[in-house]
Amino acid sequence: MADVSIRNVTKRFGDTTAVSDLSIDIADGEFIVLLGPTGAGKTTTLRLIAGLEAPDAGRLSIAGRDVTKAPPAARDVAFVFQQYSLYPHLSVYDNLAFPLRSPIRPMAKAAIDAKVRTIAAMLKIEDKLANKATKLSGGQMQRVAIGRALVRDPAIYLMDEPLSSLDAKLRADLRLELKRIQAELGATILYVTHDQTEAMTMASRIGVIDRGRLVQIGTPREIYENPFNAYVAQRLGQPAINLVDAGLFPDLAIPQRTATLGLRTEHVAIARVGGAARGEGRGLVRRVEHLGDQNHIHVELDGTPLVLLADADSDIGAGDRVDVRPERPLFFDREGARL
Amino acid sequence: MNDTSTVRRLATRAAEATPPPVVARVGGLGDRAIAWLFIAPTIVLLLAINIFPLIWTIYLSFTNFRANRPNAAVEWLGTRWYTSILTDPDIWAAMQVTARFVVATIVIQTVLGFLLAVLIDKKFRGHGFWTTLILLPMMLSPAVVGNFWTFLFQPQIGLFNYAVSFVTGLPPSSFQMLGDVSLAPWAIAIVDTWMWTPYVMLICLAGLRSIPDYIYEAAEVDRASKWRQFWSITLPMALPFIMLAVLFRGIENFKMFDMVNLLTGGGPGSTTEVASISLKREAFEKWRTGYSSAFAIILFVTVFGLANIYVKALNRVKQR
Ligand SMILES: Nc1ncnc2c1ncn2[C@@H]1O[C@H](COP(=O)(O)OP(=O)(O)OP(=O)(O)O)[C@@H](O)[C@H]1O
Ligand SMILES: [Mg+2]
Repeated sequence: MADVSIRNVTKRFGDTTAVSDLSIDIADGEFIVLLGPTGAGKTTTLRLIAGLEAPDAGRLSIAGRDVTKAPPAARDVAFVFQQYSLYPHLSVYDNLAFPLRSPIRPMAKAAIDAKVRTIAAMLKIEDKLANKATKLSGGQMQRVAIGRALVRDPAIYLMDEPLSSLDAKLRADLRLELKRIQAELGATILYVTHDQTEAMTMASRIGVIDRGRLVQIGTPREIYENPFNAYVAQRLGQPAINLVDAGLFPDLAIPQRTATLGLRTEHVAIARVGGAARGEGRGLVRRVEHLGDQNHIHVELDGTPLVLLADADSDIGAGDRVDVRPERPLFFDREGARL
Repeated sequence: MNDTSTVRRLATRAAEATPPPVVARVGGLGDRAIAWLFIAPTIVLLLAINIFPLIWTIYLSFTNFRANRPNAAVEWLGTRWYTSILTDPDIWAAMQVTARFVVATIVIQTVLGFLLAVLIDKKFRGHGFWTTLILLPMMLSPAVVGNFWTFLFQPQIGLFNYAVSFVTGLPPSSFQMLGDVSLAPWAIAIVDTWMWTPYVMLICLAGLRSIPDYIYEAAEVDRASKWRQFWSITLPMALPFIMLAVLFRGIENFKMFDMVNLLTGGGPGSTTEVASISLKREAFEKWRTGYSSAFAIILFVTVFGLANIYVKALNRVKQR
């Protein structure tokens, strides 16, 4: 394990700038999650660190050693590829053992066998060890790909959406498992995902990428509570944050230059009007989604749709008139920057 | 009742919506008839030039028919030719010459062809030009190649002898590639290799190009050296293609005729008398049509059997 530093790295493919002046310092034992929409340059960032792409500008160092020009083998990284990239002609066992049979670091046959079986058991693919790598389901292939990285003890694990093809239960299990391994071995991990639960639960820090640029990096709490701009605020939160016109709540004290209010679904008080309750009742409930542990309430407020959160036992129903009061709004200017 | 009428109505409507078959408008023929009309010429041709001669050959192989005496009485001999062929030492000698020739050329051409493919696959500058250049011999007619190499192998003026003498220092006329008992088989192997290695290379190249780059990327990250990548990725993944090239070359060279006929005609003595040359001698010099028919059938069954066993092995490799 080691710390990794990425300094002002830029990578262009023809006219597209996939990664633009990106800098991240990853401390030893950190679990960094990269979040960003498709095409943001997440995979390219991982490939640059692995040495599968050469940067057009900037420097990379691993464990204090400059590796900007070093070949992948000399960087001591493990990579879980987005498209798995298994060795199709080898069995699952041989796929897992492949990195361990490297002559650079010879390892006893028995030790290799023990390691492969431990990892296979952890990923619940022990019964598939004899299968050819192509004769597996997508989720099984993905687990083999994870396993091929986990058998090693590299300077850094690079994982590109490693849990994307798994069912919810297995995904939750492996999330915990990865987190446990990381804590136990003190592994350094750079992890790409679209799944914000993964990001929030596993990350020491989350980096938000947009069009090749690192917009903000910080702990999950920081990113969630103090987003640098409206873009970052939108990346986290399920359902997504409500971005509404600043004039929607005339009573609210807002800083100058505020153009947009960001209302997290849970940061809005909602109260039903009618019967004994009194109020203006500006909001009309359009639809209620019952998720079991909570309800998502779709409210229309003077023509602006809002999604709000209510307790599972809330009795608000479609057609009700409600009062809506922001509790901890975020303020953004015209460019989307936080005020 | 209601059901059937609904069905009928739907069927009628569907029929109305479907345009009449094209053929009905063109000729008065049904679709099947038209289909037969299209494939009939091919089938007739196939029967006439493949199936009929085969069956006729099988028949002749049991008789004493001679093609230079078509009007002589034909006598049924049973399996006499077969037993006499299988116990004839000359035939076995020809088979051995053939086997040695096949094995030698396959080994040389596969190794060379695969290495060339690995080189060409590197996509260095001008690799397109080199590929075309390497493929040239394969595009020539065997007759041209045969005559051209006979000339190159001339002891006095041949370029081949001159080149060998340049490298080894031996005088050019001190050896005769086509006239020497020990050199003649190699002369043929050299020409066959010169002509057909490009073909093996082409198939191997297809195999190499079928290996996706990402596998090499994974191997790089897994710290596999270039050498290990070659042995544990390139070679096993290209193996089905290599085996296919071996199969094609094996079948071709088992019945090799043109080059041997042009270069040595089976000589000197019978050192390069491969099976197909013996066959030609029996059939068109000695006019033993029945005998050579039996020989041809034996050769055919041998190639067919070997190829089948081989294809089974190939499929096993592909499934691995
Ligand atoms: N080899 C390449 N050649 C040309 N353009 C490329 C190449 N690889 C990536 N790009 C471009 O670089 C940009 C970033 O791609 P990248 O694969 O890093 O995105 P990503 O964030 O991983 O997206 P996703 O979430 O869909 O996997 C994209 O616009 C893509 O088209
Ligand atoms: Mg990607």
